[in-house]
Amino acid sequence: MNTNSNTYTVIYSTIIVVVVAAVLAFVATALKPMQTANEKAETISQILTAAQFGEKSSWTDNNATIAFYKENIEKAYTVDLEGNENGALATENAEVFSTSDLKAQNYAIRDAADAKLPVYVFKNGTKVIPIYGAGLWGPVWGYIAVGSDNVIAGAYFDHASETPGLGGKIKDDPAFRAQFVGKVFDFSDLKPFAIVKGGAPADKANAIDAITGATMTSNGVEAAVNTWAKAYETVLKVTPAEVPADTTAAAEEVAFSDVNVEE
Amino acid sequence: MDAKLKETIFNPIFKSNPITVLVLGICSSLAVTVELKGAFVMALSVIAVTGLSSFVASILRNTIPNRVRIIIQLVIVALMVILVDQLLKAYAYSIDKQLSVYIGLIITNCIVMGRIEAFALGNKPIPSLLDGIANGAGYGLILIVVAFFRELFGSGTLFGVQVIPQALYDLGYMNNGLVILPPMALILIGVIIWIQRSIQKDLQEK
Repeated sequence: MNTNSNTYTVIYSTIIVVVVAAVLAFVATALKPMQTANEKAETISQILTAAQFGEKSSWTDNNATIAFYKENIEKAYTVDLEGNENGALATENAEVFSTSDLKAQNYAIRDAADAKLPVYVFKNGTKVIPIYGAGLWGPVWGYIAVGSDNVIAGAYFDHASETPGLGGKIKDDPAFRAQFVGKVFDFSDLKPFAIVKGGAPADKANAIDAITGATMTSNGVEAAVNTWAKAYETVLKVTPAEVPADTTAAAEEVAFSDVNVEE
Repeated sequence: MDAKLKETIFNPIFKSNPITVLVLGICSSLAVTVELKGAFVMALSVIAVTGLSSFVASILRNTIPNRVRIIIQLVIVALMVILVDQLLKAYAYSIDKQLSVYIGLIITNCIVMGRIEAFALGNKPIPSLLDGIANGAGYGLILIVVAFFRELFGSGTLFGVQVIPQALYDLGYMNNGLVILPPMALILIGVIIWIQRSIQKDLQEK
């Protein structure tokens, strides 16, 4: 057969493309449920890592990870940009926002539209919020855990395509995320949280060092953290008014019960 | 094993190494040699992809129309890469997470198409498979050697484990910032090529 004729070339190319497309479509559809399950377990393991329940590498088994999450989660809900609760996530199904959900919410924050921002509250009082933004080559996202006093307890970051060994360190270098521990979001500052090139000043409670050779990724993480922290301001902020109000309420209760006892 | 098959397997490792002699796959070897772990993962995936795509291309070699052969090769390579990626995503998610960055680099790796064009289109499937695997291994070997030096002098670690003792840092030793940037990888590959050519005199140009 003449493999150089036009007819042959056109037919051959068509068949190859159709066959390849069919194979890929079949494989993608067949494997989709398993991939979705893996992605969900991965998201949960990142939340658990940020909340300091264990190192990322310890969450290898999907079922164990989800079971642990269900056991320790207190409440998972969504808030709008004013911090009002506007939805709940089913904790018995370990329902979490996937990375693509976060992407959609990132647009909602940017457009100041109707946002549904997830907050995961664990039984030990730790609250976990996600962040999402643009790195150098692709999206970066992650989870930041704050304790009941709103001091950062831990963080975990992930990325789609940052350079391994440079920008990839946001995920691979435990020393980078360890820097977040003990820091706070300072909403009176221009940037609630700063990732500083050339070393963060030691006296700043809301700044950490950037990664050498990965300025663009560091800036991307900083922008993502700030955008999302601002969106969560009411959730994260230690409002001075709130603390005394609670104490007075508690004091009043004590006073009332005292009165009751006397009566 | 006959001599020709032996040559197919062992030549790409040293004598006709894809990076140092054929000078293919330079871009990815600059990008992924900052740390040993990444270099290792990349080496294994390139071995799998060069082997499989050479094998498939060789099966189809007598039917491929000459004028569109490059684009057909590209379709085969892309198919293999995506298949491997999809399977890993479903059955070995943690490996896929580490690979994600490299997937794009594998499709565009010149070695894969270079070997299909130079070897698989003119040879039977089994030798083509071996040629693909051997070239992937030759590529991986250089990657690991370069990554060893870059991780050791750039970050003071090997496979992420600190090997340069803290005491040395206290004495004033510092990690070399240049080594973690791509230019140093090019210099290191240059040094490897230099060493190889001084051993293998027949590669030297008059």
